[in-house]
Amino acid sequence: MKRWLAVYAVGFFAFLHLPLLTLAVFSFNSSRFTVWEHFSLEWYRAIFRDPELVEATWNSVIVAVAATVIATVVGTMCAYALWKKKSRLLTGTLYLSLVTPEIVTGISLLALFQWMFRWLHWHLGLYTVILAHVAFSIAYVVIVISARLRTLSPSLEEAALDLGANEWGAFFYVILPALGPGIIAAALLALTVSFDDYVITSMVAGVDSQTLPMVIYAMARRGASPVINAISALITVFFGILIVISEQVREA
Amino acid sequence: MKLRTWFVLPTWVWMAGLFAAPFAIILAYSFLTRGDYGGVEQPWTLENYQRLFDRLYLIILLRSFAMASVATVLCLILAFPVALFISQAPRRKNLYLQLVMLPFWTSFLVRTYAWLFLLRDTGLINTFLEKIGIIHSPLPLLYNSGAVLLGLVYGYLPFMVLPIYATLERLDPSLPEAAADLGARPWTTLFRVIVPLSRSGIIAGAVLVFIPCLGTYLTSDLLGGGRTVLVGNLVQSQFTTARDWPFGSAVSMLLMLLVTLLVWGFLRRESEQLS
Amino acid sequence: MNRRYFLLGMTGMAALASCGPSKPRLNVYNWSAYVAPDTISNFEAEFEVKVRYATYESNEEMLAKVVTGNSGWDIVFPTYTRIKPMLDYDLLQPLNHDWLPSLNNLDPRFQKPVWDPELKWNTPYMWFGTGIAYNRSLQPPPTRWADLWDSRLKGRETMLDDPEDMLGACLKKIGLSFNSTDSGELERAKQEAIAQKPLVQAYLNAEVRDQLVSGDVLAAQLWATTAQQAVDAAPQQLAFAYPLEGFPLYCDCAVILRESERTQLAHQFLDYLLRPKVAAASADYTRVATANGAAKAFLPEATRNSPTLYPPPDVLERGEWPHALPRDAQRLRDKIWTEIKSS
Repeated sequence: MKRWLAVYAVGFFAFLHLPLLTLAVFSFNSSRFTVWEHFSLEWYRAIFRDPELVEATWNSVIVAVAATVIATVVGTMCAYALWKKKSRLLTGTLYLSLVTPEIVTGISLLALFQWMFRWLHWHLGLYTVILAHVAFSIAYVVIVISARLRTLSPSLEEAALDLGANEWGAFFYVILPALGPGIIAAALLALTVSFDDYVITSMVAGVDSQTLPMVIYAMARRGASPVINAISALITVFFGILIVISEQVREA
Repeated sequence: MKLRTWFVLPTWVWMAGLFAAPFAIILAYSFLTRGDYGGVEQPWTLENYQRLFDRLYLIILLRSFAMASVATVLCLILAFPVALFISQAPRRKNLYLQLVMLPFWTSFLVRTYAWLFLLRDTGLINTFLEKIGIIHSPLPLLYNSGAVLLGLVYGYLPFMVLPIYATLERLDPSLPEAAADLGARPWTTLFRVIVPLSRSGIIAGAVLVFIPCLGTYLTSDLLGGGRTVLVGNLVQSQFTTARDWPFGSAVSMLLMLLVTLLVWGFLRRESEQLS
Repeated sequence: MNRRYFLLGMTGMAALASCGPSKPRLNVYNWSAYVAPDTISNFEAEFEVKVRYATYESNEEMLAKVVTGNSGWDIVFPTYTRIKPMLDYDLLQPLNHDWLPSLNNLDPRFQKPVWDPELKWNTPYMWFGTGIAYNRSLQPPPTRWADLWDSRLKGRETMLDDPEDMLGACLKKIGLSFNSTDSGELERAKQEAIAQKPLVQAYLNAEVRDQLVSGDVLAAQLWATTAQQAVDAAPQQLAFAYPLEGFPLYCDCAVILRESERTQLAHQFLDYLLRPKVAAASADYTRVATANGAAKAFLPEATRNSPTLYPPPDVLERGEWPHALPRDAQRLRDKIWTEIKSS
């Protein structure tokens, strides 16, 4: 059985990465269109000639990291609180935030911000993007961590309390470590959801806050340009390197 | 004050400010009238909801629910073995998890365009199959419901893998061992022991896939060639080309209501079964 | 010890340097790929300002940001049909012609456009029409909208994913007006569209360019600019036709938002865009037709004579400028569009 699982896993990863590989290969295609001409690094050069792109990438990273950290912390705390004492209202609200179509979330947040800013004389900016991203990421984190919490026995916490820990100690030293892999899974999910978001981000981004998906969408909607392929290949390589490094660090 | 009260406060604040308030705005919009060029204006009206009860829109809703259900089930079948594999891996769990997420850190639009390139009549798959002689004319792999399903399943796999992994990871390995000792074959162990124990993860994954699938529009637009309208397309078009925000808000409200009832009913049954 | 002071000193100096007098700013919000790569940077260099330049993909996206009058943008580029609504919402500043000496560079057709005869609110920027892009292997080549209903194109043609254009083509095919608001006429157009649907592979916008070049698609309803890009990539293989029954024309225009406080600088930018060489550079790079008559002299000959971008007068005569439609007609059209797409 274990062998079948491994074989399946290999096939699964291949399926998952197939589009990426195709993109990477064609990022070296000199032609603008998907008919192979000859090998070329032109699209990679084009990336570095474009300051807008570099800035957009930087913005995306800032937003994704900030939103992930905040959402994971807030979401984990919330999942714990809901585990101790259910709240139908809060759970329902979180589910609702998941089901709302992105355009609706985007327009409604824009309307909210614009209405508020009329009184405050503020403008949209990177901070509104972060606020929005946290808002829609919390539900993901709560759901993943709640699933994990349900596998924990409540006696775990009781035991800690019996042994003299206070509530905070029980949470921090007993529950939290038990949640470890769940938190990582939730954070990865939040990071993914945030880094790739286009619709909501484009609605609430300010004048100075273009993100990478916005730039890519603009390019792609006009007919895919291989520059996008090159960007995607670079992103993949970058994250791939990060992953390898983190593995080395962990094993050390 | 108990710890849990402090803990739940930030979420309340965020949800109240950045979800409930916008939600109230959309609710208000659904009772208003469309401005000529987008936006909303007085008078207040029930007209948007009345328009909803047209056969056209109800069919769209039905079709969307069907599509989302099939996508969720397919996702579950595909994701479960991988989640199991990763949870049982002796080391490098995080590596595998990150390998699952890696494709999804590139742009969604770009990945979808990659599928377009693969599935087209002159795309990679058809060309390959023709070259090795299996087919003689291109298979219609694109611009139909199958392509949309493929796009949906592909796009939401991580949302199924991660929660299931999170529960399976806690699985006590002695349990399947005990089952094996008692004479159960691997498949029996899988379905009678492992799957039920990962139930909360499966449900979480199903929720995380089914619900966003309902609201999707880009996948059906790009991979479906704009030939079908799902409820996500309907809402999207109301807020953009049709410039009818109130009607779009009403459709969203109906969608959210239906899903809430569904999820609530389902979860209620779950907790009743557990107790 | 020395190294620490050195680092501290450098940091301090760097901080001071970045706090220097900042240049004046201008915020421009435009369609994507609508200027040449050096247009903005040349403007920044010449006028010693910093331009924040961002792009959007649709009028609605831009309007949603701009409609509250607090968006932060100075200049936007609406399609002409949106200018009247923007005026209704009091979003625009009137133009001061004293600050726009290059206004005369505009093509005579655009000096008194129907949507703003005195050019009080906008300067026309780029224009284009909709037609049929096709593969030359199609003999006889398509020349009418009706040719897109030919069953020889089954599964090899696409229509635009745009209700205005697509329904417009259906209306024109049966000889009706592009701007029709009559429900009977629209119903007939809907029947045409539904009859055509089995032949249509997909409803695509600019994405179809790739498929035309690779040969997946033999004929596509397409905007002239995207068609020109496709023809550029495969000149032997592809061509473009303006249908005989008539076709729509669109024009994107530059306006200054009322919320902008940098009025004079905004005017200078508009004037800069009206310079022949600047307009020519953008028009050539983006493959769109410019509204600037004087710029044509600076276009490379192939572009200037392109029948796709600059059709001869007799062809142009068949084009019409669509109107903004009243609310009920808009709603009817949208319902019909939904019905077509979900049939």
